[in-house]
Amino acid sequence: MTHNKKRRQVDFQIIARWVDEGDRVLDLGCGRGVLLEYLKQKKSVYGVGVDISFEGILSCVKRGVPAYHGDVQALLATFGDNAFDRVIFSRSVELLDDPDAILAEGLRVGKRVTVGFVNHGFWLNRFNFLLKGQRTVNEVYPRQWYETLRSNPFSVSEFDAFCAARAINIENRVYLGGNWSGECKCLPNLFAGYAIYDLSI
Amino acid sequence: MNDSETAPHVCPEEGDVGIVEYQDFVSQEPFHFESGGIIPGLTLRYETYGHLNAAKDNAILICHALSGNHHCAGVRSIDERKSGWWNFAVGPGKPIDTSRYFVICSNSLGGCSGSSGPYSINPETGERYRLDFPKLTVHDMVKAQALLLDSLGVDRLHAVVGGSMGGMQTLQWAIDFPQRVGRYIAMACCARHNAQAIAFNDTGRQAIMRDPIWDNGNYDPDQPPGHGLAVARMMAHITYLSDAGMEAKFGRKRPTEDAGKEHFDVEFEVESYLRYQGQSFVGRFDANTYLYLTKALDRFDLHGPVSLDETLSTVTAPGLVVGFTSDWLYPPQGNREVAEALLRLGKDATYAELSMDFGHDSFLVRSPELYDLIRTFLDR
Repeated sequence: MTHNKKRRQVDFQIIARWVDEGDRVLDLGCGRGVLLEYLKQKKSVYGVGVDISFEGILSCVKRGVPAYHGDVQALLATFGDNAFDRVIFSRSVELLDDPDAILAEGLRVGKRVTVGFVNHGFWLNRFNFLLKGQRTVNEVYPRQWYETLRSNPFSVSEFDAFCAARAINIENRVYLGGNWSGECKCLPNLFAGYAIYDLSI
Repeated sequence: MNDSETAPHVCPEEGDVGIVEYQDFVSQEPFHFESGGIIPGLTLRYETYGHLNAAKDNAILICHALSGNHHCAGVRSIDERKSGWWNFAVGPGKPIDTSRYFVICSNSLGGCSGSSGPYSINPETGERYRLDFPKLTVHDMVKAQALLLDSLGVDRLHAVVGGSMGGMQTLQWAIDFPQRVGRYIAMACCARHNAQAIAFNDTGRQAIMRDPIWDNGNYDPDQPPGHGLAVARMMAHITYLSDAGMEAKFGRKRPTEDAGKEHFDVEFEVESYLRYQGQSFVGRFDANTYLYLTKALDRFDLHGPVSLDETLSTVTAPGLVVGFTSDWLYPPQGNREVAEALLRLGKDATYAELSMDFGHDSFLVRSPELYDLIRTFLDR
């Protein structure tokens, strides 16, 4: 098993913990539909994936995961309040054009929202920038800035501040350490490599 | 995304279905239309490719577009150079694999390629129906196809597939016969025509009806209202292409210069192409049929009588809806609207949108992405 795959599965297990049997789940930025396939197997969810990549959609078709090829915001607008039990943003919030509005929409359409994100405040990121004046290039951020999509990374404390400012309730949260394998218990903004939040309004 | 992916499709050797022959399904039972009209019997001309298996669960119904017909794959004689309209996609080893599936394609009810329609002979009078043919809906077309399937012993289809008018029939199938549809693929379609689509259709109808030869539909089939029908087709054909596609294909290219040309003779290649398309259409399509089919499409409305969600609520089969970015006749948003409603209803539905320059006709063009999608969806 590759390190990436192991890491992904830890992430999946935590996301699955907050999903109830048979839930209706919307995965925004679903990629190839691997998470939804996992949730379908573990929790028998009705899951819909959304992605802008054709390859992602094709892969969802292969996995038998219903998917929508297009813009997240436009699709969310077509759903009524609480249409889904859970809306998931797994490593996709940093790629959104208008995260504030889209998270608000996610919280309208979903009874609960899961946000999983890479903590940009992780000590190694800070260290790299301090030392070299360059952003980190590693397994988590494998490409140079000029090879990546427009991205808007943020830290644990920035996300906490956002939730406070928008009166979003943090029902649960889990921080993973730098290698994403074990949980991080202290000073998450410094020591967490990855964070997963369970939100409601 | 960083997930490892399964190996790409290994495509078996592709082949053609070869020489094909049509058959006629003939029912002596009166056929009742949604409008209340009745015809004394029903004929549907169709072709099949591949073999129905013992379990009778490998049948795929292909629904053709407005000007298409039952001949979607292979050739009708050894001398024929042009294959059926979807020969790229239908055949052994092709996305709709005739070595695995039993493929059925029928000329739509109301069509003019051998099925009952304004152009066919009314057995009671011995004359063509012409405008006496009952008002026609997409629902009627699907109901007629269901009778054909009964006669073939196919209770449940592995899949229904269609684009444009065929896409609407496909959706109608999923709505009207949920127990008979295993899955469906609706391409370049919509839940109803927008004003622009109705406007184009009516302009086409007006071109036909204002041709004096039309004579309230009573023209001699050997002397059809060719000017009107050709102009209708030329205009409609433009709506099937895209700006970028036409620019790439024709631009401002001129055929060989001819000093003796009159001012308004063909000058640009695009003119020559469209005039040819218009003229060849007159030779293979009936003007009254064009009026009936376009009207049926204009009236198709999955939003009525209550709402789109209400209409789609009977669907049970998994569906794949495919829109094309360059389609300005049935634009992506019309396709999306269908998929969004299905997802709102908690159905197993997928929407894919392909960027191709071929406009509305994109689904007819050989496209690896579309074919991957179709193959994957049919085979999963």
